[in-house]
Formats: sequence, structure tokens, C-alpha cells
Amino acid sequence: MASRWADDEADKAEDLRRKKEKEEKKRLKLHKQQAEQEAAASASHQRDLESRPAKRRRLSNEAFFQDHIPQEKPAERKLLRFDGGSWGPCRHTSNFETLNHIEEGSYGWVSRAREVATGRVVALKKVKMDYQQQDGFPITALREITILQRARHKNIVSLHEVLSGSDPSEVVLVMEFLEHDLKTLQEDMPDPFLASEVKTLLRQLTSALSFLHSNHIFHRDLKTSNILLSNHGHLKIADFGMARYLPPPDARLTQLVVTLWYRAPELLLGTESYGTEIDMWSLGCIFGELLLKQPILQGKNEVDELSLIFVLCGLPTDRSWPEFWRLPNAKGLKIPRDSGAKSGGVIRTKFPFLTHAGADLLMSLLSLNPEHRPTAAEVLEHPYFAEQPKPKPVEMFPTFPSRAGQEKRRRRDSPNAPKRGDAPGMRNVDFSGIFANREDEQAGAGFQLRVA
Amino acid sequence: MQVSPLANPLATVAQLETSGSQIDGIPRHLENSIRFAGAQLTQAAGILLRLPQEVIAQALVVFMRFLVGPEGGSLAEFDVQQVSAASLYTITKLSPYPKSPRSIINVFAYLSTLGTPTPTPDQLQQGKAEQYYVSEGTYQSRRLVLSDTEQRILKALGFNVHVSLPYTLGITYLQALDVFSHPRASDLAKRATAYLNTALLSPQMLYLTHQPGSLATATIYLAAKEVGIKLPEVEWWEVFDTDREELGFLVVGMLSVGSFAEEERAKWQGRKVPMTVDELEAEMKREDSGE
Repeated sequence: MASRWADDEADKAEDLRRKKEKEEKKRLKLHKQQAEQEAAASASHQRDLESRPAKRRRLSNEAFFQDHIPQEKPAERKLLRFDGGSWGPCRHTSNFETLNHIEEGSYGWVSRAREVATGRVVALKKVKMDYQQQDGFPITALREITILQRARHKNIVSLHEVLSGSDPSEVVLVMEFLEHDLKTLQEDMPDPFLASEVKTLLRQLTSALSFLHSNHIFHRDLKTSNILLSNHGHLKIADFGMARYLPPPDARLTQLVVTLWYRAPELLLGTESYGTEIDMWSLGCIFGELLLKQPILQGKNEVDELSLIFVLCGLPTDRSWPEFWRLPNAKGLKIPRDSGAKSGGVIRTKFPFLTHAGADLLMSLLSLNPEHRPTAAEVLEHPYFAEQPKPKPVEMFPTFPSRAGQEKRRRRDSPNAPKRGDAPGMRNVDFSGIFANREDEQAGAGFQLRVA
Repeated sequence: MQVSPLANPLATVAQLETSGSQIDGIPRHLENSIRFAGAQLTQAAGILLRLPQEVIAQALVVFMRFLVGPEGGSLAEFDVQQVSAASLYTITKLSPYPKSPRSIINVFAYLSTLGTPTPTPDQLQQGKAEQYYVSEGTYQSRRLVLSDTEQRILKALGFNVHVSLPYTLGITYLQALDVFSHPRASDLAKRATAYLNTALLSPQMLYLTHQPGSLATATIYLAAKEVGIKLPEVEWWEVFDTDREELGFLVVGMLSVGSFAEEERAKWQGRKVPMTVDELEAEMKREDSGE
């Protein structure tokens, strides 16, 4: 009998089988490892791809997303596309035919015209090119164009395009045409606007101002002749020849801005740092003008204008306007410093039919101290617009015969916006005459009857 | 067209296909060299005029806009240095940092004496810029050319001189990515800004083909790789409305400016890039006879 431990055929076969099994296991293990390595490699490759922008979007990235964001499907996400348009050279002026002349503005001529191809009626504004000027393309025109390109608002006149003419220096702005400007319209109207209409106009004007100021633009030449009105009751601000972006806080500005009748007292007194408050003063002047159907402060010159302001609004006091005495031109003034109760002004008397809220708004806009004037956004929230009578809807606005549409306008006798470069002359304005006879006047009338 | 604070008008395909210079028979490689040199000249002049980079950047974009498209300016008609000077002049006029024609003319006169449109920062700083002066007659004639070129630029662009820049947008994006808690975040921001400045000079004119948001996104991507700050492992660029393809294109485009600059330097070793129409004609004659 063979030993139990003797090798025999069966044992040999068994050995072989075991060996085979082992090898098989080894092979499988290796295979598995390889597969794992491959998987890892491909995964890391995927991740590489993920972090490196490939030229084309991969379509099968399930492997990656299954690891990280199991739920999300690799759906195409919608990206926002900004369309900034493109640019091209200016078109030639011959694309438009002039219909009639409208007026001469602070830096250009305005006429009504029709686009030949479309028949659309527009207003053309020709830029005055002054070749004596040392500064190349007029900065005022450049500012007006860039500001109008940016300031798109329903109450701001829109600039369609800029044309060039055969003469290399000819530059023409194409703007939408509106039938009226407020100044000419008021001159033609037999009666002032109704209270509800004034409200509508003022609200549209203020909302345009609020938009401008929140975009760091101030207009610097607000007046009724720069405010246009369509036959549908839409009001739009025009003529941005004086407008500019708010400069850095320390920059010096020319104080020779805004047409005299609408110029704020701090400008008359020669300040070189001012802000959007000067537009709010002009807004107050326009408010008053809409109520009375005529400009409220028609000064003949700077001195006269300032004295009219002090008559209407009262005198500045140390309490109401402490910075007043530090302004360049204030030194020449001989104001009784303790004028006290007499300095109240006559706004309330001059506008007897204005409601309490309306008078409050007008008086705050015509505050001598620029810091006391409300911002355009605050004006829009004023109770004046909420009380009766409510602002008239623009659809209900009356229409008027348009003079700009057909006939040449006569030149008006209102002062023009100041010319650039005249500013240094302002330094020597002598205001000492304003209160020269004030003592006599005060001695005269003992009391005054006030209408509330 | 409404001017947007976030978007720029972009060059159309037709404008990118050809240019006034190419129509006038100027070889493309010369046009590229001159435009690149002119862009660097604008940057150098802006530095000497003590202008903030955002003003210089706007001038550079206007400079590039003028030189593309069949209706754009041709280098056979305009000295590139005139285009550069007029772009700076008109942009500074609209900015809070207006510069007089006198300052601009002096600076460009000084830069032309350096003999290279690409002075190093050291060269710029140590030079005797204060001492350079042009005579009254030269000044008057150059001022007329300056005004004339300014007007031609404005008209060729249809007065589209508004430029939205990506710098502040980039900072906003970095804040949105919550990067600023990282200790090296300011390195990242600086690198991203540097790439934005580099892209201004790109021969591919990236500022004319891509919106500021995409430019800012691509520079953040590049700068984060370089500084080694990890950004979210998702497609974060899509949050800023840039798709993968655009990002890839911009990254490659921005990285290639460096090698392009090296090539240009090697190519013009010891010679001056033609900065005026006359110099350009001489260079074209030289090339014709050489080949």
C-alpha cells in the first residue's frame, strides 16, 4: 500500500489544479488592478479636462458628474448675451432733407427735417464748429453726444445718430422731433397750465432729473426753452450742451453755467464746487414759471438776479446758510447780519393759489442753502403729487397748435446760456450795490398784508 | 443703440476681415507690427501724461476700433502716432483728467526721440521729459493735425467712443467667487489686472471681439492657475456668462501676447517700427527690394 504521503497521479493532478487556480487568481487580480488604474486615470483625465477649457464642449461627461453632482443632468445652460451693437462711420447729411428752421441754441442750429428713405420727421442740430478754438472738437458737443447716448429715458430726448456733411467740420445730431418747447408754448397760451397739468409736467421733469442724477450726470442748463413737450403730453429734456458727469469731489468746476434766470445763488456767488443741487434750484424756478406762466426771476444781470432772489426767498442767515460768507463774491455784500424775522421771503404771497404742500415743495426747492434743497428722488415722493388735484394723465393732456412744426420762430429776449471761457470775468462782479438803499426801504413800510 | 455700462459695441465679421490699411496694400504682418507698436506707444504716452490706467485703456480701445474695418483709418493715410495721440486726446477730454494739446504733443515728441515705441518703464522714468519742447511753429502745425485726426476718428466710429472696461467687473467677480479670504488673493487680483492690461495690446484685438465680462472671467481663470488659488470645481465661468469655448479662446489669446511681443522684438532688433506714413513707405520699398 502506498504511503499516504506518497505522490501519486491524483496528487499531481491536484497540485496542478491548485497552481492553475492560483495563477488564475493572480491574473484576475492584476486585471482588476489594471482596470482600476485605468478608471482612475480616465477619471483624473476627465477632471483635467474639466478644469482646462477645451475647445469644444464635451458631450459625455456623465462619469465626472456621477461622482460629484449625481442628480444634475449635463443640460445646456442659458448664458446671458450682452449686445453692445457695433460701430460704423457717420452717415452723410444728404440722407435728410430740411423742412424748416426752428431755433438757434447755445451751441448749434436746430431745424426740422425728414429722413429721405423713411419719411421719419426728426430734429437736426448742427454743431457750431469754431476753428479759432484751441481745443479740437468742441467739448460741449462731445459731452452732449456721449451723455445722450447713455441717458436713455422716456423723459429725455433721444439721439438717433450723428451725421457728417461734405464739409469735414460739419457735424449734425439727429434727434427725435417734439412739437413744442415749454417756453414758446407758454407764450402762446392764453392761460397758465391747470394745477393738475403742472403736476404732470413737473413729475415727468423730476423723474428725468432723478435718472440723470443717479447716473452721475448733471444738466447745468435747465430752463423752459430746453424742455420739449409732444402733442401727446410727453415732456422731454433737451440740450445737453452744458451737461457733464459729476467730477471727482476735489475738482474745480466753472461757475458760469445755467442761464441767468435759472442760476442758483451759490453759482452767482462764485462757488467752484457744486453739485446736482444747482439743477434742483432750476427745477424750482421752472415750477414757479409753470404756475405763473412767466419766468419768476428775470434779472437783468448777475447783481440784479441775486437781489431778486433775496427779495423772493429772503436773506441768508448764519443759521440757514453758515457757509454763505465763505463764498468768493459774498464779501462784497452788505447784508444786515441779524435781519432775523424779516428774512422770510415772499414765496407764499407770490403764489396765493398754491396748496400748502405745493408751497412747501417750491420753498424747499428754492432754498438758498444748497444742502437744504431736496434731491430729485425726494421730490418724487413729495405729498404734493399725492394730494388733489391728482396729476393729469398724459392721455388727457390738451393739444396745442405747434409753431415749431411750420413757422420760423421769433428770437426771444431771454438771456442765453453763458459762453465757455467767460468764467474769469465773474470774479470781479461787484454786489455791493444790492443792499445800498435797503435801510431806507425798511424804514418805509411798517407792515405788510399777507395773503395765506 | 443704448450704450450699456456692461457691454461694448463689437467689431463685425466684415470689420475683422479687412481694414483700410489692407485695402491700401499694406501687408498684414506690417500692419500687425505697427498697430502693436502704436498700442504700446499709447500706453507709454498715457503713463507720461500721468493718466489713470482706465483712461489709457479707453484710449487704446478707441485706437483699435479706428484701425479695423474697410471704413476704418488706413496706416497709409494716418501716422500711427497721430492716431495714438488723437485717441488719447479725445478720451482725456471726456474724462475728469483733460490734457491740453500742448501736453499731448510734447509727450509724443519726447517719445519719438527715444527711438523705440516700446520704452521700458525705467527708460520712461529716467528720461528728461520735462526738458523736451517743440517750437511754436511745430506746435501749431501738429495741433492742427491732432484736431483733424480727432475728428476723423470720431466720424469713423460714428461717435461710438464709449468703452466699458472689465477692471471693476473683475474685482466684483472675485468677490462673487469669495476669493478675498485667501491670503494670496491680492496677488491673484494683481495678476488678473495685469492680464487685462496685456490683452489691450493683443494683436487679436480681444477688446473688440469680446465683452468685458468674458475678458474679466478669462483673466481670473489664468491668474488663479498662475497664483495657485483653487477656484470652485464646477464651470464657474458660466455664472459670469462666458461659455467654455469663449474662455478657451481668450485664455489662448491672452497667453499668446507674450510670445508675439518676443517675436516682434526679435524681428525689429536694432530697427525702428515705422511710426509714420513716410517711414512705412520706406519700409515697404525696402521689403520689396529685399525679396
